[in-house]
Amino acid sequence: MITNSDPVKSISQPEILVAEGLRKSYGPRKALKELTFSLKAGRILGFLGPNGAGKTTSIRILTTMMEPEAGHFVIDGISSEYPEQIRQRIGVLPESLGFPKQMTGLEYLIYYGQLYGRTASKATEKAHTLLEGVGLQQRAKSLIGSYSRGMKQRLGIARALVNDPVVVFLDEPTLGLDPRGQRELLELVQRIARDGNASVVLSTHLLSEIENICDDVLILDLWQIVARGSVSQVIGRVQKNIILKSVLRIHVPPLSVTKAREVLETMPNILRISQIGELEGSLSLELMASDNGDMAVAYEINNKILSSLLRAKIPILRFEVEGGRLQDIFLHLTEDVIQ
Amino acid sequence: MLKRELTDLWIGGRAFNLLLIYSALLGIISYNYSFSHDLNRVPAQEAVFEMLKNATAFSMFIGLIIGADSISGERDRSTLESLLLTPVNRSHIIIAKLLAGISPWPAAYLIALPFLYVLAQGNAVLGPAMLWGALTGTMLVLGYTGLAMLVSFWSSSNKVSYFVSLSIYALLLVPVELSGDGPDITGEFLQWLNPVSAVNYFLSKYLLSHRPVAEYWPWLVSSALLAVGTVVLLLKFAGSRLRLEPGLRRKIRVALRNVIGLGVLVGLFAVTFLVTPSYAFQTGTGRGQEIELSIDSKFKQVKMGEMVKFSTTITNRGVETSTPLIVALNVVTLQPNGKGVDPEEWSSERTKYIQSLAPDETIKLDWLITTGLHGDYIIYLVVIPQPASPEATTFPVASSSLYLTVIPTTRLQPAVVLPFALGVPVFLLAITFVVYRRRRQQIDIGDPL
Repeated sequence: MITNSDPVKSISQPEILVAEGLRKSYGPRKALKELTFSLKAGRILGFLGPNGAGKTTSIRILTTMMEPEAGHFVIDGISSEYPEQIRQRIGVLPESLGFPKQMTGLEYLIYYGQLYGRTASKATEKAHTLLEGVGLQQRAKSLIGSYSRGMKQRLGIARALVNDPVVVFLDEPTLGLDPRGQRELLELVQRIARDGNASVVLSTHLLSEIENICDDVLILDLWQIVARGSVSQVIGRVQKNIILKSVLRIHVPPLSVTKAREVLETMPNILRISQIGELEGSLSLELMASDNGDMAVAYEINNKILSSLLRAKIPILRFEVEGGRLQDIFLHLTEDVIQ
Repeated sequence: MLKRELTDLWIGGRAFNLLLIYSALLGIISYNYSFSHDLNRVPAQEAVFEMLKNATAFSMFIGLIIGADSISGERDRSTLESLLLTPVNRSHIIIAKLLAGISPWPAAYLIALPFLYVLAQGNAVLGPAMLWGALTGTMLVLGYTGLAMLVSFWSSSNKVSYFVSLSIYALLLVPVELSGDGPDITGEFLQWLNPVSAVNYFLSKYLLSHRPVAEYWPWLVSSALLAVGTVVLLLKFAGSRLRLEPGLRRKIRVALRNVIGLGVLVGLFAVTFLVTPSYAFQTGTGRGQEIELSIDSKFKQVKMGEMVKFSTTITNRGVETSTPLIVALNVVTLQPNGKGVDPEEWSSERTKYIQSLAPDETIKLDWLITTGLHGDYIIYLVVIPQPASPEATTFPVASSSLYLTVIPTTRLQPAVVLPFALGVPVFLLAITFVVYRRRRQQIDIGDPL
């Protein structure tokens, strides 16, 4: 099932990346079927999909590391028939990126700057700017072998920006980072798009973070697109199409569970209350579905439940609608295709 | 890119470390020549020849280590992708790695020069050894480094690359032994085909047996082909097909198989016309007798007092049984105004007697002589059919000659060799220390995390 939601149109933003009908197989094994999408300048596209869905294959094709069997793409007006020119215009942080341990961060960026055609002095100047931008200025002259994982990822992003790319591809940039590192890196990604006006294609499994920083999302499963569009539109349209019964998830302190149950059991729209997993205080509320599937009615019921709990002075630690998060959409879409 | 590759190799430490080990090994070998009772009597030419062989073999090994890691190592370390993502031409990447890969060779050659000098002991062999050592060494190191790079390009991992490259290295170094210099086409072809054994054969004939270059230049063909062939393959195939995944596409595998097969056929053809042994079969006729006489060696080089073994083959090509035959050994000095040689001083069995030979019958005779004074000699055999009567005459048949060079023995002094054996590695160590110290000053150690 594909849900198409057109991204928010902006007359001032041209399409910086257009892919049409990209296909790839490894012998009898399919890797990608008919990938078609576009990306406007300055936007961040989240690339989602379970393992084996075709994300890395897609990124490798778009970054000219691999040739597609069919289809073509255009980046910044340059056709895929000219891979060397495309490489001049893109920046890439691959999923598994190695670094030469005997180079310093500064030497590394100067080297790549020169590979992109800069003179030594200009490459040095750019390297200093980038290191400052990613927060590695203090360690510029340290060997890369002494960098932490997070520092290496930031250096990798700096390298991806060394040629002032129009599109930056980041494949699992937060892999192996602690939560603070993940947040800092994603903030950096937002700055890249905002300050550098570069479009970003971000492949990641951090669905919650995708919701926060991505403008558009493209969900792959079984080598094809199952949803694409802006984040809110994909969530809204799919939620509307698939939700037959409403389910709320709330989380209250363990000591308040009994009182919360008492309040909720008095409410007419709640069909069943059950604990979620083994975490005391996490409750799932199965609600009566509205006859016509009207979302406004559903939201009103949710508000009444929330109000009741607040009036009873029950602390609410979390309150969310099942199917209202990108994670829910993702899980539903990918499961649906498998079935 | 080349600057980066060279920096990685030299400042990163691999080149200096390998050359340090190499210089220490050459030092041990050269000191052994002076210290060992047996080795220090080795003629200077031979010592220089052996040192040249070792220097080339070690330099090829250094090229192997670097070449085998050049592409598969980058794949294993996940640094290849970021390089391929740049707009740099793939062929330029290959060229930069190849040039960096052979960059230790000039340094290795310079390191070998002091050892060649001390082992030469003033002998005139030093100049030709330096010249031809540079030329043949360059071809072998270039060819073998390129070959290791090709293996690295195709290998699925660095371990596989090292394993295959080391196996090829071991195969090339296994000497292809011929039975003397006898007419063994297959053995000679295999020796010609192996670039290392072919170069060693050429050098031995040129440096030790003083044969002219024009006579033995075909033995350099296989090493030249290896050098040129690997470079062409690297640029034409590896350059344009360099990608993240290793291995060859099927149609390229088929093309490569055809090229190799064609190369083997061309080689077989070439060696038939270029290297066919020109063993002289002298056929003499003597009144209805057709006796064919051949000697199994064309030249040998030995030290004074050493024994020389060789064989002659006598065949009756006539239609009648031969009369009794006398085979006589002759030794002639090539030194002008030199004294004549009495063969009986060199061999206790100067003549041999053959009762008769039936038509197409062949007999093989073995000869053993003990060399006398140093110098250049010609040894040849004569078959004399016994005359039918005291009034009859006969027509002796002579063989081709065996050129024998007898070398004076010399002794190498340990005190002369030791300064070089120790000095060269220490000097290299000092350079390495200076380079590392300078590098350390450029970087900031800082906090590990």
